[in-house]
Amino acid sequence: MRSIVLWSLFVLTTMYPLGCYGADALKLRYLGVILGDIKEVGLKKPEGVACDDQGQIVIADTENGRLVRYTLQDNALKGGGEIKVPEVVFPVRVQLSSKGSIFVLDGQQRKLAQLTPEGTFVKYVTPVGVNPPNVVPKSFKLDSRDNIYLLDIAGERVLEIDPTGKLLAQFPFPKNYGAMSDLAVTAGGDVLLLDSAKSTLYIAKKDAPQFAPFTKGLQEYLNFATNMLTSSRSADIYLIDQDGGAIVILGPDGLFKGRQLSLGWRNGQLYYPQQMCINKNGDVVIADRGNSRVQLFENLK
Amino acid sequence: MKIHLKTFILLGVVAMLSFSLNSFAQDNTAKFKLKPGAYGKLCLECHPGFQDKLKKQHVHTPVKNGNCTGCHNPHTSAFSKLLESDASKICISCHKTLIVANALSVHKPVADGSCMKCHDPHSSANKNNLLKTGNELCLECHKSLAETLAKVKVKHNPVEKGCLNCHDPHASVKDDSLLKERVTALCVSCHKTDRPSFIKQHMNYPVATSRCTSCHDPHGSDRKGILYNNVHKPVSTRMCNQCHEEATSSSPLKVKRDGAELCRGCHSDMFNATFGKKRMHSPLLSKKGCLTCHNPHAGKEKGLLKEAPLVLCGSCHADTIKRQAKSVTKHEPVKNGNCVACHDPHASDSALLAKQASVVDLCATCHDWMKHSTHPIGDKFVDPRNKNATLNCLSCHRSHGTEYKGMMPFPAISDLCTQCHEQFRR
Repeated sequence: MRSIVLWSLFVLTTMYPLGCYGADALKLRYLGVILGDIKEVGLKKPEGVACDDQGQIVIADTENGRLVRYTLQDNALKGGGEIKVPEVVFPVRVQLSSKGSIFVLDGQQRKLAQLTPEGTFVKYVTPVGVNPPNVVPKSFKLDSRDNIYLLDIAGERVLEIDPTGKLLAQFPFPKNYGAMSDLAVTAGGDVLLLDSAKSTLYIAKKDAPQFAPFTKGLQEYLNFATNMLTSSRSADIYLIDQDGGAIVILGPDGLFKGRQLSLGWRNGQLYYPQQMCINKNGDVVIADRGNSRVQLFENLK
Repeated sequence: MKIHLKTFILLGVVAMLSFSLNSFAQDNTAKFKLKPGAYGKLCLECHPGFQDKLKKQHVHTPVKNGNCTGCHNPHTSAFSKLLESDASKICISCHKTLIVANALSVHKPVADGSCMKCHDPHSSANKNNLLKTGNELCLECHKSLAETLAKVKVKHNPVEKGCLNCHDPHASVKDDSLLKERVTALCVSCHKTDRPSFIKQHMNYPVATSRCTSCHDPHGSDRKGILYNNVHKPVSTRMCNQCHEEATSSSPLKVKRDGAELCRGCHSDMFNATFGKKRMHSPLLSKKGCLTCHNPHAGKEKGLLKEAPLVLCGSCHADTIKRQAKSVTKHEPVKNGNCVACHDPHASDSALLAKQASVVDLCATCHDWMKHSTHPIGDKFVDPRNKNATLNCLSCHRSHGTEYKGMMPFPAISDLCTQCHEQFRR
């Protein structure tokens, strides 16, 4: 009898924490902060950040009009070199391709620029053959094949183009939307669309031409989400709650799973965060615009 | 023979009705084990005031039939006034058709189940048991409209005659604002669009199917033709072709350019200033462009805004408005819907479209004292929590409010101060 009780206690104590992690999916612990480049020039209102599986972190140092590149290896940051090209004056969103190319959205010029892995300007990525031709990209994402998904707020659509700009598909925004601010592509090829004003996600399933509601209003769980990311491992969806200074986690089914971090100025807190990325170790990097810094978090899951 | 047949049918209906009422009475008589003949009279023995109510011209059917137990439980109830169910649900248990599944607009009292805001549940001197007659009842709640109607120089005749000329008091499946029909259909039922004077007034443009309320205030205004008080200059000068194709063209209502590009022609100064900024308000770049927030023809609000600023800005930034509503201390500009006191609604070089780069300078436009007698703030004072930040007003306050006094993010002042002055933390 005693052995049964002890065995039950053992099972409970070992399984309960696992259950907790399963419920929240993402458990963040503050790891460190990036305040500037290698020359100690401070970041100024950074709005974008991108990571890759080689440990590279590229920051859109927005109000300094430049990119800053670091490498995170064994919890140590290296590098900190500046990438500054005259063709990009106000970087707001960054993504890295599978070949290491840097794609950066210029918020002032409203153009998507492609840079080499070394940081040399290659070209502006311009969609070819789209109708109507006026494109205003608000955000963008790359998929595993390096195809580009542009959130075009002027054309009220998502454009899928290949790296040369050739149009592959376009998905019109759903009717009666509020204000679209970001998109994400799932590992399965579905496209998610974030409506900040209505705190709602829409989904265009792979090979489906239309967006359909994916979640109901998430107002209960967040304030004003402006950025979205899908986890390739857990298939969870992460939303940056800009006004609430937090990360909101949804399951692959769009249901609320949890909330991490809080608004503030101290290390580990966020003040109007803008973009996040996750590296192969599961570490989370967040462009903390209001605090003029980039913060790194370890995922305890 | 025909008359006999009609009389026969009528008598049949009356007989069926009386049978059903009688059987209902018998049901209740049995249910409550009433003495013979007590049904419909027993309650009045203790509630004699009801005799007067029964004398009124319009009596609610259950009351008229003495069926008090249709709504009340004579013994006990979990609800006030011994009602059989919640006051917000009891009416709907009989008047089921008032809840319309596909309604485009529902009157709030109906949605809330507050039927008694308009109706007396027992009897009234007014038709449909209404508490008051005509517009008097509606304007008791719609006070700002009442004030407007009293002041406007040009009145709209149907409004004078009664709100129910155009509005359904319960719900509408046709349009917003409880309208009985789509706006245009409603208007053209009185205003004949093929009359030469109508065509001339509208500069020969085929507006018969356009939404009339994009220019005209249906409740009256101070301007001729009940145009809204704020009119876009091309409309007031009858220069429709500044924005639209010619009236004689094959597509006369089509605009000459899409989105914001149409507005750029006249508002070039604003456009040059806006498009030169680093951050633009996204709606301005959207397909609707300027029309996301502005009316192109006329409107109630200054600047031809579609709604009052608090409503308009709140339609996207609901969380910010909600936060202010919950805030213990109110920030005057937010409270008054003066969002543009701090934010540029078009574009800015600063984050959050702040009107000035420096938070201190922005706040000092109203709170000028803080420039000379305050905790050290400004570009020279680095925030001890983060060397990339300097101390400013938002280091201690949230501009849209918090649940704590003084728009501070912490419940106690000591919590706030020890954020930086850690040596004093206990």
